[in-house]
Amino acid sequence: MRHHLALAPLALVSVFPIWWMLTTALRGEAEIYSPWPWPADPTLENFRFVIATTPVWRLLGNTLAYATLSTAIQLLTATLAAFAFTRWRFPFDRTLHALFALSWLVPFQVVMIPNYVAIARLGLIDTLGALLLPHLASALAVLMLVQAMRSFPRDVIEAAQIDGASHWRLLWRIIVPNLRAPLAALAILLFISAWNEYFWPLLLTRTPRSAVIQIGIQSFLTEEGNLWGPLMAMSSMACAPVLLIYIALQRQVIDSFLKAGTRG
Amino acid sequence: MLRRRHALGLAGAALAVPAQAQAPVNIRFYNYNLASAGLGRDATLEMIASFTAANPGVKVEGVAPPSGEVMARIQADVIAGNGPDLAQVIFADLAYVVENFGIRPLEEIVPAEDLRSHLAGMLPNGVELGRLDGKTYGLAYVFSTPVLFYNADLFRAAGLNPEAPPATWEEVREAAIAIHKATGKAGLITGIFGPSAYDWLFQGVILSAGGRVLSPDRRRLTFAEPEAVAAVRMLRSIAEAGVMPNLKSDAQIETMSTGNAGMYLQTSAVQSALLRGAANRFELRAAAMPAFTGKPVRPTNSGSALVIMTKDPARQRAAWALMKHLTSDYAYTIITSRIGYLPLRPSAIESEQHLAPWIRANPIVRPNLAQLANLSPWVPHAGPSYRQILTTMMNAAEEGVFGKRDPEELLAAAQRRAQALMPR
Amino acid sequence: MARTFGHRTREALAPWLYLAPALGAVVAFTYAPLGYAGWLSLHQWNMMPMVEPRFVGLDNFTNLLTLPELEQALANTALHLAALLPLTVVLPVAIAILTQELRGPWRNIYRGLIFVPLIIAPIVAAAVWRWLLDPRFGMVNAGFKALGLGPVAFLQDPDLALWTITWITGWKLIGFSTLLVSASLAGLNPSLIEAARLDGASEWQVTRRIRLPLLSPTISLLVLLTILLGAQWSFAYIHVLTGGGPLGSSNTIWYLLWQFGFGSLAAGWASAAGLLLFAGFGTAALFLLWLMRRVSFHDD
Repeated sequence: MRHHLALAPLALVSVFPIWWMLTTALRGEAEIYSPWPWPADPTLENFRFVIATTPVWRLLGNTLAYATLSTAIQLLTATLAAFAFTRWRFPFDRTLHALFALSWLVPFQVVMIPNYVAIARLGLIDTLGALLLPHLASALAVLMLVQAMRSFPRDVIEAAQIDGASHWRLLWRIIVPNLRAPLAALAILLFISAWNEYFWPLLLTRTPRSAVIQIGIQSFLTEEGNLWGPLMAMSSMACAPVLLIYIALQRQVIDSFLKAGTRG
Repeated sequence: MLRRRHALGLAGAALAVPAQAQAPVNIRFYNYNLASAGLGRDATLEMIASFTAANPGVKVEGVAPPSGEVMARIQADVIAGNGPDLAQVIFADLAYVVENFGIRPLEEIVPAEDLRSHLAGMLPNGVELGRLDGKTYGLAYVFSTPVLFYNADLFRAAGLNPEAPPATWEEVREAAIAIHKATGKAGLITGIFGPSAYDWLFQGVILSAGGRVLSPDRRRLTFAEPEAVAAVRMLRSIAEAGVMPNLKSDAQIETMSTGNAGMYLQTSAVQSALLRGAANRFELRAAAMPAFTGKPVRPTNSGSALVIMTKDPARQRAAWALMKHLTSDYAYTIITSRIGYLPLRPSAIESEQHLAPWIRANPIVRPNLAQLANLSPWVPHAGPSYRQILTTMMNAAEEGVFGKRDPEELLAAAQRRAQALMPR
Repeated sequence: MARTFGHRTREALAPWLYLAPALGAVVAFTYAPLGYAGWLSLHQWNMMPMVEPRFVGLDNFTNLLTLPELEQALANTALHLAALLPLTVVLPVAIAILTQELRGPWRNIYRGLIFVPLIIAPIVAAAVWRWLLDPRFGMVNAGFKALGLGPVAFLQDPDLALWTITWITGWKLIGFSTLLVSASLAGLNPSLIEAARLDGASEWQVTRRIRLPLLSPTISLLVLLTILLGAQWSFAYIHVLTGGGPLGSSNTIWYLLWQFGFGSLAAGWASAAGLLLFAGFGTAALFLLWLMRRVSFHDD
């Protein structure tokens, strides 16, 4: 009971703002500033407005494609790199490992403009591919997977080697299947951060062809006043997919973190 | 609808000539109103659509950077070799654009007679804003002056007469104190400070106090001279009375439009947001920018100019045609009635087919219109570090108004630092 | 002989082949631009093709390092990070231990709910919190009013703005930290705790003597992450909610350098600001790692 007394308020504080977002999306213009937690006269007007004035489905589709692809690519490059770091000793391996760790501290804004110029020279402005380019490798993923692979039982690897398995087979047949938990935990983090990315797409996209949902949300926040109802409606639509995936996979998400932790 | 179609017909007939004879031309138009869904976007799209309908030879690709990022976006795209053909440039950035992007004046790229006759229809004070060193580099486009919006209900509650709004800063201070005392609500809020305000309103306040933020030749900063310090002290006396909270621009709009502030000095561009909030809740009115006792009031302008950036003659012609369309009587009817900026054409104001009926029905725009007569241009800062100069000055001024340290010292120190960043 | 040699070369090349995609990406999209920034930081240039870069030596650095706002921003950053630690370390450790002791579905329900803020976009989180905390129509202040307390201007009061930003930043991260701690908690050997309990140790003694020491690597990691990345995490909230104000009271070093560097159009200023941040937090990282190694050495 004591536990619930401490935890319930914390849980409430965690979800209340999300509740507020959802109910505000259902409020009409007259009720926007009302402090009641539930609208007296719920309406879908804000959602209709969002669907009518912005290409919201297209933006959601783009965001999904971008987040999925970037997550998959970052997991792949990180798995390969982490395998190199844990399977072999080679010249400069420690330096290179530190190079990955340090890259986490490079402010994104510093590299933004040079990257933008490079991408423009490649003629990729306003394409989804351009969004991906600076996100082909994630320092976090490399570091986490190195940790996970280091704690992988050595005898299993040695047994496989005695059986004559090549390193390629060793990686894909033995190590990766056993790293499902850390991989899943990482996938979730990478997906969420890609889904919520704002500054880079803002610089890169010109048209709905390649825009993402966060850009759409921002368009309701302007110097000439904010359109709160539609803003919250679009935010709800942006959060809904992630929230649904999360609710559906909640157990697995948490389990995979727990398992990732026990190994790492 | 009929009225609009009629206006469109006129505009189309006047403009169709130059571009149609050519092969199809694509132009890229950077416009920050396009980035604000529901506010400026629909009106701007409608004006672009009516242009392409009348000029089938021209295709317009609208690019929508948020207003705070428009300059960074233009620059990034020019660096990447992919810049705009026509861009909406905030006045604070105009000198920088002209000096760094190889912009040629309109006098050199459009037919002289055409330019003369189009500019003749516009307010001379407005045209002046697009000029640097006597040449027209941009055409003033969406644009407004500082307006003192006020809540007539709160005036009455405080025993003030809403028919006689305060005209001087002393009166503003008294009214603000009275409103706060009677209702507990904010007496005054202003849009002078904040990252998106640049210094347009600050310049107007300093000019009205008899000072300047920089010398006429734009080489010397003068925002720490006695007149400017006096203006900052005046604002500080209101802040120290506890009746002027320091809010960010979006919070300002909300505070005013929910009836929680007596007065709000800000660009008229927020007018439609305020009107929406005030509807059925309280009576929103507007007055002219306050003066300093015994000195003429010198309202400045916020807003932006249209600048032709392309070097290609066919695109220049198409951009010029679009520029004329967007500054026509037809366009200002839409811009003024649906977004809230000022019409820069007297003919649009007077014409019954355009704005005259709307202005009669919306007296709130009168003070804004009246200020067009004594407008002083918002002067852009100089050199490659102009943004840092601006930030240095505004940080010091904000602290002078809302902080504890002495305004004179603050401004003097900031002026020394900023002067070192000026081009030599 | 030749075959062995070929095999050896292949074997020596193998790690490089595995490393190539990630390394190539990091070099091409992080370190090469960083090197370019090093060159830019010594020049006054806006990167425009028709404008010549002008060498200015260390001017960009001196201009940034002599900003009068710098001292306040550094102090704010230290306060912000210090205040963030209870939210990203202390509270998550407590929640993880409390939930660990729960039976049945409650454990995962709480952990699940507390994780939810992480999946919300920062811009949306900022907008919702601004709303809830508004002095006039916000829920939180409506609650205060009901209790007879005056409205609190969380974001407009110079004495509160930094703490409000810290709270929102922390709110978003509690769940993530909780999961990390829960994960290592689940990995602890339960027999140690059982043994201690049999010896009659109180719950608090179990936590202090056994759990916390065993959790220390995770706790160190969380402290490290908070100090190194906390100022980056709060950037979006400062940008949307306060702009560093009022009067610089919520300005952190990250945001200040952004204002004078990246927020403007001068590549020299921006690059110098970026390099200063990189160098500053890089040094902090090395120092912290050194410190942690020393501390854990003494633990042994």
